[in-house]
Amino acid sequence: MNLNGILTLAVVVPFVGAFILPVIGRWSERLRNGLSLIFVLVSLVAAVALIPTVTAGRTLLVQWAGFNLFYADTLAVFMAFVSSLVGAIIVLYSFGYIRHYSWRNEYYFMVVLFLGSMMGIVFSRNLLILYLFWEITAIACWRLIGFFREKSYVLKADKAFLVTVFGALVMLLGFITIYHQTGSFDLGQIQETLQGQPISNLAVTLILFGILSKSATVPLHTWLPDAGVAPSPVTALLHAAVLVKIGVYVYARLFLASWTIEPVWHTIIPAIAAVSALVAAGAALLETDLKRLIAYSTISQIGFIFLGLAIGNEIGIAGGLLYILMHGIAKGGLFLCAGIIEQNTHTKDITKMGGLIATMPVTAVSFLLCAFSVMGIPPFGGFFSKYMVMTGAVTSGQIAIALTFLVGAFLTIIYLFRVFTLVFFGESKLAVRPLPAEGSPVMVFSVALLGALSILSGLFINFPSHFVQSAVQQIIWVQSAVNQILGFIP
Amino acid sequence: MPALLILIPLLAILALNLPWKSLMNRLAFWVGLALCLVQTGLALQPQSRFWHSPSLWLGNLLLFEPSVDHLSLVMFLAIGIVGAVTLFVCRYSTACAGNRFMVINVLILALTGMNGVVLANDLFSLYVFLEITAVASYILIAFEKGRDAFEGAFKYLILSAVATVMILAALALLMLTAGDLSFAAIQAAIASSPHSRVVLAAIALLMVGLFIKGGLVPFHGWLPDAYSAAPAAASVLLAGIVTKTTGIYTLIRLVTSVIGYNDTLQTLLLFVGAASMLIGALAALGQSDFKRMLAYSSISQVGYMVLGLGAGTVLGMVGAIFHLFNHAIFKSLLFVNAAAVEQQSGTRDMNRMGGLAEKMPVTGWTSVVAFLSTAGIPPLAGFWSKLIIIVALWEAGYTTYAALAVLASLLTLAYFLSMQRRVFFGKLAAGFESLKEGNLWILVPACVLALITIGIGVGIPWLFETFMLPIRSLL
Repeated sequence: MNLNGILTLAVVVPFVGAFILPVIGRWSERLRNGLSLIFVLVSLVAAVALIPTVTAGRTLLVQWAGFNLFYADTLAVFMAFVSSLVGAIIVLYSFGYIRHYSWRNEYYFMVVLFLGSMMGIVFSRNLLILYLFWEITAIACWRLIGFFREKSYVLKADKAFLVTVFGALVMLLGFITIYHQTGSFDLGQIQETLQGQPISNLAVTLILFGILSKSATVPLHTWLPDAGVAPSPVTALLHAAVLVKIGVYVYARLFLASWTIEPVWHTIIPAIAAVSALVAAGAALLETDLKRLIAYSTISQIGFIFLGLAIGNEIGIAGGLLYILMHGIAKGGLFLCAGIIEQNTHTKDITKMGGLIATMPVTAVSFLLCAFSVMGIPPFGGFFSKYMVMTGAVTSGQIAIALTFLVGAFLTIIYLFRVFTLVFFGESKLAVRPLPAEGSPVMVFSVALLGALSILSGLFINFPSHFVQSAVQQIIWVQSAVNQILGFIP
Repeated sequence: MPALLILIPLLAILALNLPWKSLMNRLAFWVGLALCLVQTGLALQPQSRFWHSPSLWLGNLLLFEPSVDHLSLVMFLAIGIVGAVTLFVCRYSTACAGNRFMVINVLILALTGMNGVVLANDLFSLYVFLEITAVASYILIAFEKGRDAFEGAFKYLILSAVATVMILAALALLMLTAGDLSFAAIQAAIASSPHSRVVLAAIALLMVGLFIKGGLVPFHGWLPDAYSAAPAAASVLLAGIVTKTTGIYTLIRLVTSVIGYNDTLQTLLLFVGAASMLIGALAALGQSDFKRMLAYSSISQVGYMVLGLGAGTVLGMVGAIFHLFNHAIFKSLLFVNAAAVEQQSGTRDMNRMGGLAEKMPVTGWTSVVAFLSTAGIPPLAGFWSKLIIIVALWEAGYTTYAALAVLASLLTLAYFLSMQRRVFFGKLAAGFESLKEGNLWILVPACVLALITIGIGVGIPWLFETFMLPIRSLL
């Protein structure tokens, strides 16, 4: 099968497949579950199959009726790999989690649709197609956050929908300014028309607004902690692995891999990210709701990713991309652990837990492994990414911002240890005796897998870092090619 | 032979009122449906001989030679589809049950009137058909004979009468200047003396008259009452197509082929459009009656069309017409959903409902499709038409209006999310445990309309080439 076909399948199979899931679910739950996992695995396998080609420096372009539809370079394949990997584990975990609730057909429909649209965003070559998939993720998100149908939950779902759509609409205005400037929505054509000139600051501001709203960066972050009312695998999907990374990815895709922006943004964006990282870390210190706490932690960590990508040098970008992978795995693991704890203890308040390590050993260990990775303790995966991002910041001379992030990293260690101690150690404050046991085998397996990946990705750092370096090479190559056209580099 | 689109429905009404009462009672629905479907089918085939061959002897019964272009075809298509949907809703609705025969007759009369409005190419015929449509609408709104129904119909009647007087006065003034009422003659007269006071007064009167007919801010007072008091079938027809044909289509037609653009007119259109868009959306936010909310939403969406028209470019025009068509589809769908909810639950008060999607899944999901399309969320049809309008405004240099149009989308989303939350999404409210989904008469049109919305949204690359670009020939 040719490579373009594989690329198309990676998007089309989960996206279209999602629509048949509710139909199948009417007569066989097992078949529906199996198919939803297979659809996501197709994306994962396709991404893996494309790795050798793209790391060798080739890019793929799928055309359809003379229209550039999908495009794959290392950056895109890397992102597709990360999201479908974590997505597949989350779907697996859902088998155990969601069977206790009604509206299961809608659940699988929306989750797979969400992952399919994510693939669409990752591979899209056209700003309008990107926008289209971007909004579909918002629709899926809306249904999923309001999944339990409580009135206050639906209100929070509406809030998330409104904030992200507001951001997206502003971003659409940005796209329209670019269209006005260059006469095209096609990424490649825009690049050609611009000839390496930076895009207008107005367009950058507008697009950045959309990106920040989707990535839940301060001050557009409040919807993310509220979204914690969704089923836990969904919050893992939204907060950790996929949704918030959309913004980060689009930043990398547009402002690093496609166009250039004025140098001043290399200071403004890290500054926004620094504020976001610090404010959210502070909020996480005070929070007592387990899922909200992890959500604030996500907002804080997204700041680190933005820092790496926006600082403007090679090692920073590589660190930012690596961070996407490490954070996706570790934070996904934390949320799934939180899901097990919440489902079995029927509370999300960490001050009412305690001593759970006795009855939930696997969950506790997995939680700790993932937490270590988020904290950035060597030799866990998160250490390498955090290290590279910080190095990038220091080399570029932004010492003040680097120091702010150091404080943020320190706070991360404090609040994660705090939550771990409160939940797993000490006297149990739960009313139920005996203490709740582990979740179902498939759920425990999923979190253990993510915990193991957190440490393995650090021990075998070679593979992901090669992958990331190849992506950075391609991005830098694009940028230097642009510079050559301008004659900056002889 | 396009004249047949007026004559055949008229003959059908006559035939239906022949003395075989019980037979005709049973036939009426099918006759109406056949008329609508044939019209839809013909409109989908612009190459058909029907549109181009000259009128036979029957056509000579009309006093004017009808003209057809691509804009007319789009309108015929929308009229056909919404007409068929209205018939289905009428068949479903128990409110219709007693005098279904009468309703269907008036409905066919309204179709005749609208087809006439679209075909007319002189101001006087246009005026006559506008009145036919309006009279049919008053009857449709009032036929339940309740207090609200009479109030709604009365408000519409009074304001429509004011509009009529204005349009008629404008006609007189233009007749004075041009000596003839055909579009071509008036266009020539306006072009030769663009600053004549008489002409300007006539244009102003004409505009205000059409703004009233289309329910634009600040002349929108009649619209929420009329839409919400009307029986289910009538509100589908009114919101979906009647006000859009009598108000917006006429406006588009007159601006493009008679009056022509100038700065003042553009400013007026942009301002009125933006005001309708924003005020309609803000008012919709505060409604708790399902149909009233949809009515205010209509005002807001009409604002988009007028904004597109006000951009003064080909792209803006295409956007306005495309949005008119999309609006006919998704707003009809929302009113179909409202009809189903009202009949099944017995109320229109959204605060008393909740979680109805659990019992009415098809209605719930089709309403999601419709509202996402209205709010301009891709990949649904409404997104593309709004995008075209916004791009057109941006390119014409009206960036502020473009930004307002984008932000109004957010308001649209906000009130529809509140509608979804109170009606469909959420926990099932107390008292609705025995609620049932409507029957096929209401589900079939809902599904068809939802599929059209999705189909247009997904198939836009083909439609843009084949269906929409020909509209460019207008300018």
